[in-house]
Amino acid sequence: MEIRVLAKLTLGNTNGLEGEEGKRQVLTAHGISSLVIDNLYRRARGRNATIACFYFDFAAQSEQSSVSILSCLLKQLVFGLEEIPEEISEAYEDRKRAMGGQGLEISDILNMLQITTARKRAFICIDALDECATEHRVKLLDSLSQLLQHSPGTRIFVTGRPHIVPEIGKRLVGRVESIYIIPKRDDIVTYLRSRLAADTIPDAMDSTLEEDILKKIPSDISEMYVEAMALGKLA
Amino acid sequence: MVAPNPRFCSAPPPPGIPVVGRLHHLINSCDILEREKEQKMSQSFSNNCNSFNTTYINPTDADGRSNILAWLSPLDPKLRHQDIRNRRIESVGEWVLQTEEFRSWCAGSEDGKSDNAVLFSYGNPGVGKTYIR
Repeated sequence: MEIRVLAKLTLGNTNGLEGEEGKRQVLTAHGISSLVIDNLYRRARGRNATIACFYFDFAAQSEQSSVSILSCLLKQLVFGLEEIPEEISEAYEDRKRAMGGQGLEISDILNMLQITTARKRAFICIDALDECATEHRVKLLDSLSQLLQHSPGTRIFVTGRPHIVPEIGKRLVGRVESIYIIPKRDDIVTYLRSRLAADTIPDAMDSTLEEDILKKIPSDISEMYVEAMALGKLA
Repeated sequence: MVAPNPRFCSAPPPPGIPVVGRLHHLINSCDILEREKEQKMSQSFSNNCNSFNTTYINPTDADGRSNILAWLSPLDPKLRHQDIRNRRIESVGEWVLQTEEFRSWCAGSEDGKSDNAVLFSYGNPGVGKTYIR
């Protein structure tokens, strides 16, 4: 591996990298989502909270309709309850008798989400919202907005690329706080350390080389970020 | 500048990038250990999931319960979560959890406030590609 490959991985830019190399990055929005979800699960243990997550994926866009996303979230939130709410068991029995299929519409799911979130505080995490097809994204955001009207205590964590900031702001008006995700110097150093520490040939590393790598790469990368920010390439 | 280490650099390193030669095999050799770590993490996660799955199930209506859950949705985001989790490096990005924005978002629902129920983390996955060649 060359330094430029290490730097590419460090920057989270895997263009042109194949296989396992392309998957390892310092910090990605996906990584933040999984970090937050794990953190919420840890906090939720023994407390009155239920958690649901959804990861969007361009490759699976055709299966990721607003109905399938909302019902997937609903399933996980219901799973976190001690008992399935009566309204949901009844709806299940009714549909089973009447149609033999699921047959749920957005309004049914929203209704069940309201019942569920009234039982327990709900945390919903949605990863890579920009990878959701636009028509479904609009419906999803509007449904979440309606849910929040009935259940203001519900918390929703969303990740995505910067270009959907205005859309989220518009659909969930007055309810959104934002954080800009960019690897910090410490993230870059931790990443490099973890790769260097995994070296199986101890002789390959001496303290001078390690020091040089840990000094050189993070500072070069920080400069690149600063430069890119100044040119408006990141926002 | 780091002087080339004769043990690892049989040829002189390319000008301007003195650490390339030694980094090369060093980083390749990281892969095995990293894979082992991923396997362990994966195992640990599935143990966690098992405990989630069994926590709330009452044996008398377990079938009814899982039928209803399956009816609500056939999708299971757990696998994707596990995959992404395995690629994460421990403690990288933890600062997000310490931000005031995250803390107040988390705590907000406890004191009944309805403002900022949504926390949006945005970033660009292709960042830097114009600058690294």
